[in-house]
Amino acid sequence: MAKEYVSMRNLRFVLHELFQVEKLTTYQRYADHTKDGFDLMIDSAKQMADTLLHPIYREMDDNEPKMGEDTVHVHPDMRKIMREFGESGWIACQEDYEHGGQRMPATIYGASNFIFHAANTSAASYFGLTGGSADLIGTFGNQELKDTYLAKMYAGEWQGTMALTEPHAGSSLGDITTTATPAGDGSYRIKGQKHFISAGDHDGVDNVVHLMLAKIPGGPAGSKGISLFVVPKKRPVNGELVANDVKTNSFEHKMGMKGCPIAYLIMGENDNCHGWLVGEPHQGLKYMFQMMNGARISVGMMSTALSSAAYYASLQYANERPQGRHVSNKGQDGPMVPIIEYADVKRMLLFQKSIVEGCLSLVMQCSYYEDMIRVTEGEEREKYQMLLDVLTPMCKTYPAEMSLLSTSQGIQVLGGVGYCADFPLQQFYRDTRINPIYEGTTGIQAMDLLGRKVTMKGGKAVMLFGAEMQQTVMQAMQDEKLKPYAEKLGASLQKFSEVTMKLMGLAQTQEPEVFLSDATLYLENAGILCVAWQWLKQAIVVQEKLAAGQSGDELAFYEGKMYAFKYFFEYELPKSIGLVKRLMSDERLTLEMSEAHLN
Amino acid sequence: MKILVPISVVPDTTSKIAFTDGDTKFNEDGIQWIVNPYDEWYALVRALEITEKDGGTVTVISVGDATAEPVIRKALALGATDAVRVDTKPTESYVVAKELANYAKDKGFDLILLGKETISYNGSEVGGMMAEFLGFPFISLASKLDANGGVATLDRSTETGTEVVEVKLPAVISAAKGMAEQRIPNMRGIMAARTKPLTVVPASGVQGKTSTVKFGLPAAKSSLKLVDPENMDELVRLLHEEAKSI
Ligand SMILES: Cc1cc2nc3c(=O)[nH]c(=O)nc-3n(C[C@H](O)[C@H](O)[C@H](O)COP(=O)(O)OP(=O)(O)OC[C@H]3O[C@@H](n4cnc5c(N)ncnc54)[C@H](O)[C@@H]3O)c2cc1C
Repeated sequence: MAKEYVSMRNLRFVLHELFQVEKLTTYQRYADHTKDGFDLMIDSAKQMADTLLHPIYREMDDNEPKMGEDTVHVHPDMRKIMREFGESGWIACQEDYEHGGQRMPATIYGASNFIFHAANTSAASYFGLTGGSADLIGTFGNQELKDTYLAKMYAGEWQGTMALTEPHAGSSLGDITTTATPAGDGSYRIKGQKHFISAGDHDGVDNVVHLMLAKIPGGPAGSKGISLFVVPKKRPVNGELVANDVKTNSFEHKMGMKGCPIAYLIMGENDNCHGWLVGEPHQGLKYMFQMMNGARISVGMMSTALSSAAYYASLQYANERPQGRHVSNKGQDGPMVPIIEYADVKRMLLFQKSIVEGCLSLVMQCSYYEDMIRVTEGEEREKYQMLLDVLTPMCKTYPAEMSLLSTSQGIQVLGGVGYCADFPLQQFYRDTRINPIYEGTTGIQAMDLLGRKVTMKGGKAVMLFGAEMQQTVMQAMQDEKLKPYAEKLGASLQKFSEVTMKLMGLAQTQEPEVFLSDATLYLENAGILCVAWQWLKQAIVVQEKLAAGQSGDELAFYEGKMYAFKYFFEYELPKSIGLVKRLMSDERLTLEMSEAHLN
Repeated sequence: MKILVPISVVPDTTSKIAFTDGDTKFNEDGIQWIVNPYDEWYALVRALEITEKDGGTVTVISVGDATAEPVIRKALALGATDAVRVDTKPTESYVVAKELANYAKDKGFDLILLGKETISYNGSEVGGMMAEFLGFPFISLASKLDANGGVATLDRSTETGTEVVEVKLPAVISAAKGMAEQRIPNMRGIMAARTKPLTVVPASGVQGKTSTVKFGLPAAKSSLKLVDPENMDELVRLLHEEAKSI
């Protein structure tokens, strides 16, 4: 196992130097926090990850869960992990005091989540899902639901899940067929099937609480008729837990995230599955989106975390592996050199570094907007909400898609052993493969960006976002060293807005399929620009730090950042030129061709 | 029981060590500071366990300047009742021990529990000196400790075996591995730490008796050497002459 999976120095840079999180403590909501307290939280997260999560990362992959009599047997440590994360306050940490929370800012939680997922993404998913689903009950549920479920979930005694997907309805949730029929006593009877439900059943907890989407018969068709229900595996009756007719039929064997089972659930085989409505009928998708938006940002973070773990593992290997000699060594004699000395290996590592640190900054930008939404009001709040809405598809997708390439480069750095089970690289690669799929596939995110977010509020949100980036560009223009890079980003933004104009023109004149046909490329381009923006923001801070004078490790840290920043601008940003070319083209191959041509 | 836990603030174990001022000073640039693990994991946690069970208070104390405060807060987050910082930069064990004793002498502590050594200087000197200044007994290297009814019973694990010792309190005891399990601050503890008292007291002006002439790093580990499998004599020579392992 590699020694490190995250850089705590870089996390401190992002939190304190880049986002200056202590400024959050000037707002009422976060007034009880301090900078030292934030550091203690991050350090505690690292200690929790080092002692509870990281040691069993591989074991959870090697020993897949097993189907038992009436539950799924998972790694025996999961019970302890759920309890410890519950008792030490991590599951409830973002909540208000009355729910046992500590009002932890999203930015600090995001940084902690990064550490947890880099240490062991399967294990971290259990308590992450529990916190998210409890938050949903806390926000939209009535007092009875809160009283019945929150304490147990926040204590890590009961698992929370999000149960949306059905065998025939994944991306298209409007087509779900699970029903919820009023029982006359305030509860509903649930009938249907759900599959792929993460942590949907396991023996690390005493109960599982599904936040489930279902349709009330007679309601509106499609996604407008979806309601949200609490459907426990065992329902509390007079202080006892009674089986609630939720059967785990099976779970899938998957390529990664093996430590966290995805359950196939059958509800109401005996017409005795009770569910309780959360909030109002037919508002389910809207409520669920609150959780899903957070979950999408989390997926960006999880992807970045796995890229990070892969980067540090391959970096360690590159420092230790002697192989061959420099081409300039004419006689090819003397000892072999560590592979990190070769330019091509440095390139692979620098690629990973630029992705890890660029994406981390992007995801933290979203968390920062989340915090600003929590602490501001009126127009200001609306501004941050729009910025977050626009940025979310990029924040979910770019880190997820790049994590596939970044972890793959990690394997490449190791050569043959990277492909073998003794080294963790192949596991990072397999584990991260899910990230572009769940919480809305890349294709769905792309349509969300181009079909919805770009036109949202008459294009105001996108303009606001463009202005944020322009502001960074203008700031960087003041620094001679950064000016050439600021100009490059400025020019790329200009091209991108031309693409947007063109596509909006198409949207006015042709069927929506036309302007959306290459939405994924549009999203990819937007993702590249967003990370370039974040790198430029980082470079501004780094220049200030370098100007103040640095020595030793600190100097290497800031200089390393400048190399990764330049790498991104020299190697990654130019990819947008090709994307723009494609997006401006009127050739519509994918629309013209018929299914028969794919033969 | 009223327990005092002296804690040292030391560089994180992953810090790169370098020196300045003609190798007479430790270069603190970019260093992350932590509570000395022997003080935190064993002494502080055991002190907390004892008071959680039988009641009482745990005061942590550190000799250091203001930069030590974030680290002292961690001890408060772990559960210490209050904290004291003696406001001077520590220079040598004698100064630290005397400053600590000067603070503790009239406060009525039943037990003074500290780590067996710091991971930075590995001196193991402060506990013994402090006991001498206070006129208390000193028992070093305790790997197990129970204290009640004015008596402490402890195990001292040495290379040759275990010694069980009983001592009347007050006493100074130094803690070694095994005394307790490391704890991680929880959210409530971290939030509570902000408002727990951290009192800064002026140093009593103890003067040091030694000065550092020069620091040096241990010799760098030599790089990997590959020996031809046919050349066993060379391997034996290297093991004998360079590695000095045979
Ligand atoms: C490990 C794992 C964990 C999961 N955890 C959960 C969970 O906890 N809860 C839960 O509810 N679900 C969960 N899921 C399900 C996951 O969210 C879905 O798999 C995902 O939403 C995609 O749905 P699908 O698999 O049905 O694919 P489909 O929707 O069939 O999509 C297949 C392909 O078609 C594309 N596509 C679909 N519709 C369109 C369209 N209109 N236009 C263009 N392209 C389209 C997609 O982009 C994709 O490439 C999990 C899945 C996995 C594998």
